[in-house]
Amino acid sequence: MTTSEPASLIGELTDPASVDDVEWAARLLAATPTHEGRDPELLRQWARRADEFGSRLAPVRSTAHVIERDDGLKRMLLARYTSRPPTVELYTDTLALAEELVDARGWRDWYPPGSVRAAALAHEAVHAHLHHGPAKGALRQALGHTVLRLGRLRVAGHVAGAEEVAAHAYARTVCGLGRSPLLLSAALRAALTRPGREN
Amino acid sequence: MGVVILLVMAAGVGLMLTRRLPTAFALVLLAVVIAFLAGAPLTGKNSVLDTVLQEGAPTLAATMIAIILGSWLGKLLDETGIAGTLVRKIVEFGGDRPTVVALGVLAVSALVGTVTGSAPAAMLAGIIGIPAMIAVGVPKVTAAGTVLMGIAVGIPFELPVWQFFSTALELPIPTVRAFMVKLFPFALAAALAFVLVETRRRGTEHAWSLKSVEAKPRSRRADLGDAPWYALLAPAVPLVLALGFELAIIPSLLAGVLYALATTTRPGEMNKRLLRTLYGGFEVAAPPIALFIAIGILLAAVKLPGAVDALEPLVKGVSPQNPVLFVLVFTLLVPLCLYRGPLNVFGLGAGIAGVLIATGIYPAAAVLGMATSYNQVFGVADPTSTQTVWSAQYAGVTPQQVMVRTLPYVWAVALGGLCVTAVTRL
Ligand SMILES: [Zn+2]
Repeated sequence: MTTSEPASLIGELTDPASVDDVEWAARLLAATPTHEGRDPELLRQWARRADEFGSRLAPVRSTAHVIERDDGLKRMLLARYTSRPPTVELYTDTLALAEELVDARGWRDWYPPGSVRAAALAHEAVHAHLHHGPAKGALRQALGHTVLRLGRLRVAGHVAGAEEVAAHAYARTVCGLGRSPLLLSAALRAALTRPGREN
Repeated sequence: MGVVILLVMAAGVGLMLTRRLPTAFALVLLAVVIAFLAGAPLTGKNSVLDTVLQEGAPTLAATMIAIILGSWLGKLLDETGIAGTLVRKIVEFGGDRPTVVALGVLAVSALVGTVTGSAPAAMLAGIIGIPAMIAVGVPKVTAAGTVLMGIAVGIPFELPVWQFFSTALELPIPTVRAFMVKLFPFALAAALAFVLVETRRRGTEHAWSLKSVEAKPRSRRADLGDAPWYALLAPAVPLVLALGFELAIIPSLLAGVLYALATTTRPGEMNKRLLRTLYGGFEVAAPPIALFIAIGILLAAVKLPGAVDALEPLVKGVSPQNPVLFVLVFTLLVPLCLYRGPLNVFGLGAGIAGVLIATGIYPAAAVLGMATSYNQVFGVADPTSTQTVWSAQYAGVTPQQVMVRTLPYVWAVALGGLCVTAVTRL
């Protein structure tokens, strides 16, 4: 991968925005178990397809109960969806830090005020939508990862992490963000794991 | 004198509980003190040095060899990608339904659990299995519990465990095997119930985690690719030979090693890989082997004539002979096998089992039933045992959370095992 060359690596560590959205999605897949040792090109292809699937998804309405918590930073969480009962947890401390970071990085054009919270709700709404409906099968077909071929029958396999990529792409689209929420996640992580930060 | 020995045992449990002394060291210390209290001479027949230390230490030698072979095969399953491929296939075929993935990982855990026990088994199934379950939406505690419950399904067929009980309780392998076959359905039913009930009760969970993307591309492990489908049968080879063809344990495990090797490795690389994984297996096997040496020494101590004479009246007084009472009392005592308690089979519990047999209070087969029933609990829910600690921490939860969630299920397994024991062996 060209991105692992030292010069460009140093560049992107200081400016994560230099990495494009599909590459962030591909890195999410690469960090997801079961994809160890997969061809980076294949991961990029899946990332692109999952991203397209998410951004084309018709608006979904979430009926999940929303609760706010303030212990996200120490658990490295921004939001969480649980199906039983359907609940979205928003971690207000992480959201606040995200807003701060958007200003500090000069990314306001990409992430307007309040959009991170909206993106979190939209993202988790996709999980709720995929959990209850037939959309999971549609995502699987869109990715086209054939795991079994019997004559003309093709069985499309599950791609771990693709749902997450789709949820981020959906949030980016419906909230009108300039960049994927994944870029913000990566920047938050970098800010929280920076050497010398007390945590 | 019996009372003093029991007090010493209680003190030993205290040392282990408070972690002042590692279990293996505490057991050896206990054994030496018990031997002196039982009036054993320093050297000669039934002595501290010759009988307890010299003859006791290698008592469980066959178990140690079996543990090494199991760890060797475990290393091979890891290095050749067999374990990883199994989990990956499960996710690819069942990933849309978290319950299906959990059931699949449960099956893989059971399979590797028959090969190697405790932490190595948890790692084999869990290193990819636990995060894979979490990635498809299985809540963390359920994910950790699934691997542990799965391993416990394999425990009744874990060949080194057969060898351990056979030697420690002086029972022929077929007797051990016959009881394990009866214990297995309880372990299986409890594990299936755990996965089905817990995934239903807790539903799925998806986190927008800041850890999901890494700032720099992952330095990836060398591309292993998928192991061929016929290689995936490797973990089942020893079990099929030992259970189906009633072959002895060490050759069965060796056959598994050779099968895994032959199906995945080019002839030119075989020697290197065999040695590397064998030595790796030794490292993995070190903690249980230290424990088995200590248990052998402790068993030798509690079987000394002086110890048996002193303990017999005391233990007889508190041991129920009525089958209903037997089941009731020992089911209630289940928690005593947790937190390195006195009924932990791979600790003082082995010594107590030795006392029960040596004093003739219960037939050896009944003690086998008790010990294996407790082992089903210990293997899953003990928050101080290595597999539980590893699985919980790897999933990002505490061992105590895993204990609370799994204990009801494995307690029921122990109840089942004790009922079978009472009906068939008392
Ligand atoms: Zn998500």
